Amino acid sequence: MTTETFLIILQILVFPGAFFLFALAFLYEWVDRKVLARIQSRYGPLYTGPSGILQPLADFLKLLSKEDIVPMAADKILFTLAPVFYAVLPLTSLFIVPVASQKSLVMFEGDLIFVMFTSALMILTVFIAGYSSTSRFSLIGGVRAALQMIGFEIPISLAMIGPAIAAGSLSISNIVQWQQTSLQWTVWLQPIGFAVFVVCSLAEMEFVPFDIPEAETEIVAGWRTEFSGRKLALLRLGRDLELVLASALLTSLYLAGPQQVWLIPPVVTFMIKTAFVVLMFSLLRAIFARFRIDQMVSGMWKYLVPLAILQVILIQLGIGR
Amino acid sequence: MRKVRYGSIIKVPFGPQHPALKEPENFMFEIDGDIVVGVHPRIGYNHRGIEKAFERRTYLQNIYLAERICGICSDAHTTCYTQAIENLLGVEAPPRARYIRVIIAELERIHSHGLWVGIAAHEIGFDTLFMYVWRDREVVMDLFETLSGNRVHYAMNTIGGVRRDIPADTVPKIKHGMDFLEKRLKYYLNVVQNEQTILKRTSGVGILKPKDAVELCAVGPTLRASGVKNDVRVDDPYAAYDEIPFNVVTHDGCDVLSRIIVRCEEMLESINIIRYALDHMPEGMIRVRVPMAVPPGETVSRVEAPRGELIHYAKSNGTTKPERYKVRSPTLGNIPALCKMLMGAHIADIPIVLAGIDPCFACMDRMTFIDDKTNKKWVWTMQQLRRKTRK
Repeated sequence: MTTETFLIILQILVFPGAFFLFALAFLYEWVDRKVLARIQSRYGPLYTGPSGILQPLADFLKLLSKEDIVPMAADKILFTLAPVFYAVLPLTSLFIVPVASQKSLVMFEGDLIFVMFTSALMILTVFIAGYSSTSRFSLIGGVRAALQMIGFEIPISLAMIGPAIAAGSLSISNIVQWQQTSLQWTVWLQPIGFAVFVVCSLAEMEFVPFDIPEAETEIVAGWRTEFSGRKLALLRLGRDLELVLASALLTSLYLAGPQQVWLIPPVVTFMIKTAFVVLMFSLLRAIFARFRIDQMVSGMWKYLVPLAILQVILIQLGIGR
Repeated sequence: MRKVRYGSIIKVPFGPQHPALKEPENFMFEIDGDIVVGVHPRIGYNHRGIEKAFERRTYLQNIYLAERICGICSDAHTTCYTQAIENLLGVEAPPRARYIRVIIAELERIHSHGLWVGIAAHEIGFDTLFMYVWRDREVVMDLFETLSGNRVHYAMNTIGGVRRDIPADTVPKIKHGMDFLEKRLKYYLNVVQNEQTILKRTSGVGILKPKDAVELCAVGPTLRASGVKNDVRVDDPYAAYDEIPFNVVTHDGCDVLSRIIVRCEEMLESINIIRYALDHMPEGMIRVRVPMAVPPGETVSRVEAPRGELIHYAKSNGTTKPERYKVRSPTLGNIPALCKMLMGAHIADIPIVLAGIDPCFACMDRMTFIDDKTNKKWVWTMQQLRRKTRK
């Protein structure tokens, strides 16, 4: 084995690959929980590690050791595979997003389309998870997730296309490079697209006001009602990775991604920017009540889709590129 | 109602264990698509045999039993109980005791409504408002601790008056707490009336027309939110309510939003009542001594509990224990109206409509034996009841 292949394996497994991304996922779950708690004048995680920073990891390990119950009537194969897919899909997408340098681990022309595709697959996984549990609450949750996707999938894709048109490339790494060489962040050029992306990300991650598929007081835990033990641990990990993915995508497409500023390495700027995005998500999820599913879908089509189209038209007219 | 059908009707159970219900009670919903077309309440999961227990204890012990009918409106139940027994005995509480009863009852209304506003916010997924309201509700709980030594079961009432006086040095503390709460409540009222997501989830949801509300015997804030002016404190004044000026808050929105607004404004009204009562509290003794045995007779006593009209019935036989005691808690009065509100609601609206009546199922559940074929009724003894619970 040559040193080069060894380095590549190290990159994929440790930094900036799987291990680093898992650590980041747990860190951002802690940031999100802590900030949300402080906004709501609670304490949040407190005991595990300094200020409870290890709490997400502890939760994960605890769930791994818990009993794993599969309902009698459940479709066993789908029920087992759904959590695996739910955790793996955002991880796969994260290899495409630049983390530690301007270039991502894997890059090819058109990887932006691949990210869109995996995010659609994630919702499909959610639907399958709800469907295969054969519980009424899970089924309603799964159907709601699918319905919700009809609402946000179009505007989020349009919001991803905006920076691509401006950069003239469908590769996320190229979009990042274009922003850094032309010395302008897309967020200043296309503020509408940025706002649409943020709102749709909230819906994608099932945060308030769009936590409709897992509305606790309405349908228990929604599509994840029947999952327990290892499967629930994987679902939680997938959720955390999704948070990292959403903030990383926002950072790459709109905030110029990882930048070398003076002596500060790119990964640090990346973490500062993504942490800022996570803080924004936490603040947004604290200040709303939950929408009803019909209000959410009609609101998305009435306001967000026209706004996203307007942004694309503006770019075509030469404003914001 | 919608005419379009989306295929088969599915039955969705709510409870006895469900995150939206804090107490065990079962509702079977028939859902067509996303719309509720049938509601079947099944009450009685939390029957505690409390009326039977009343017959086994002396009148003095029963005060503490009455207090434990409900954890939230504990003072309303003891006020109602002591009033009933005072009626039978033919004694009246001294004026100062009656003012103290008003102050405790209104403090309780504030904490009960505050608790409810928090829960309503939680039901529509607004956890931040939930945490904020409950944080500020602590002010009232602390005041209760100062006044009575307890946060939940205050044990202030006794037959013939109250057990503890409100000393002069705690009056400024209460007033200070009231000033703080008034500021916060006005802020929350503003939030509820202007925050778009709350308006979207609550206005026009769970409609109860005034005519239906009266016909289905709705009580309390649920009735007043349908625009009907009905309040035991005014209609049949007890304690010192006949001497204290206050408004009966009504709202004619008939939906969940107006239930929230009515409760918020009632809290503000309660603050004014407490201020007036503290300023005009007469001097004097706080209780009169009463005999242990109660002469034979029967009586009905009414109180406006935070959730609505509370009715106690007592029958005495000349001994130290009641012969029969009956409690009708406000939640039971609101169940038929609740079923009416839920018809035509979306699945997502079920929790907030359910919570809209401020249900307290544990206080509500009573039991009676009826053979529905022969229409035969019978009564169990305490031993039979115990044997049943141990099975």
